[in-house]
Amino acid sequence: MLEQIGARRLLLIAALGVAVLVGTVAATNLQSDAVYYMTPTEVYAKTVRTGQTIRLGGLVEVGSLTSQPAGRPGQNEFEFIITDGNAKVRVLAQGAIPGLLREGAGAVVEGSFAADATFIATQVIAKHDEVYTAPTAGATPAHRTAP
Amino acid sequence: MTETTISRGNTLPRIRPWLGIAAAASFVVASVMALFWAPTDAVQGNVYRILYVHVPLAWLAYLAFVIVFLASVGWLWTKNPVFDAIAVSSAEIGVLFTGLFLVAGSIWAKPTWGVWWTWEPRLVTTAIMFVMYVGYLLLRGLSTDFSRRATRAAVFGIVAVIDVPIVHLSVLWANSLHQLPTVLRAGGAPALDSSMLLTLMVSLGAYTLIYAYFMTARVSLERARQVRLWTI
Repeated sequence: MLEQIGARRLLLIAALGVAVLVGTVAATNLQSDAVYYMTPTEVYAKTVRTGQTIRLGGLVEVGSLTSQPAGRPGQNEFEFIITDGNAKVRVLAQGAIPGLLREGAGAVVEGSFAADATFIATQVIAKHDEVYTAPTAGATPAHRTAP
Repeated sequence: MTETTISRGNTLPRIRPWLGIAAAASFVVASVMALFWAPTDAVQGNVYRILYVHVPLAWLAYLAFVIVFLASVGWLWTKNPVFDAIAVSSAEIGVLFTGLFLVAGSIWAKPTWGVWWTWEPRLVTTAIMFVMYVGYLLLRGLSTDFSRRATRAAVFGIVAVIDVPIVHLSVLWANSLHQLPTVLRAGGAPALDSSMLLTLMVSLGAYTLIYAYFMTARVSLERARQVRLWTI
C-alpha cells in the first residue's frame, strides 16, 4: 500500500497532519492565559500584589480624564478612571495626556498598583476601534472603543 | 521535465510589461485617492490614511503565504519544478510585504496608540509569521540538491501557513490592543465609509497587480536559474 500511495504523498499527508496539530495547539493556547491585559474585574478577581507590574485595559470613564489630579498639585500628571462597565480603577500617569486618549474610548495602561489602590501607570496606550467614519460637522462620532 | 518553455517564449514575458504599466498606474491612482480623495477620519484625522498601505500589504502577504502553501502542495504532489519556483517567489514577496506592513503599522501606532511597538497578540503573531517565512528562505540554503531542498521547503511551507489565520483571528481570540477587523469580519458590513471602502479596494487592486508583476518576474528568473543550475 505504501508503494501505491507513494512516499511523497505520505509526506504531504503527514505535513498536513502536523499543520492541523500545530494549529489546534496554537488556537487553544491563544485563548487561555497569554493575556495582553486584564480588565478591572479580572484584576480584582485575581490577587494582584502592590507593585506587581501588570497591564490593565478598559474604557476611559466619561468625565474622569483630567490633567489636574485631585490631591496631587504641582506634579506633571494626569489621571482618569478605567472601567469595564463593572469595576473601576483610578489611574495616575506622568506627563501630558496622549493625543488620542479620549473619554469613552479604550485605553491600555501598564504599571502597578500603589498601596492606596491607585494604579500608577508607566505607559498609557490609547486604543481605537475598527470603525472609520468621515467627520460630520465637528460632532463626536457615535462609535466607541470596546475594552 | 519537459524542455524549458523559457527559450520558446511563453505568454508571461509578453504580458509582463503591460502588467507593470497597470501596476504602476493603479498604484498612482490608489495613492492619490488615499492621500487626497478619501475623507479624513472622525477619530484619527489624517494619520489613518496609512490604512490604505498597511491593510492591502497585509492581505497580500496572507495571499502570498497561501500561495506558498498551494505551491508546496503542488511540488510534493507532482514534483514539477515550476511549483518550487512559485513557492520561493511568493515567499520572498510575502516576506517583503510583511516587513513593509509591519513598518507601516509601527508608523501608524506611534501617533495613535502612543508606542512604536508592544507585545500584543496581533503584533506577536505577525512577528512570528515574518520570522517563520524568513526561516523558510534560510532553510532553502541548507541543500544544493534540488529535489531535497524543494521537498524540505515544501513541508515547511505547508506547516507555516497555519499562522496566517492565527494572525487574523488573534484579535478575536484574546484581549488585544490592535482593533478588531474592519472588513474581514463575520457580522455586518465593512465598518468604513463607502468612499473609504472604495479607496481601500482600489489600493488592494493596485497592490495585487504589484504582487502579480513581481511574481511573474521572480518565477521567470527562478525557472531560468533552475534550468541553468540543474538542467530541469
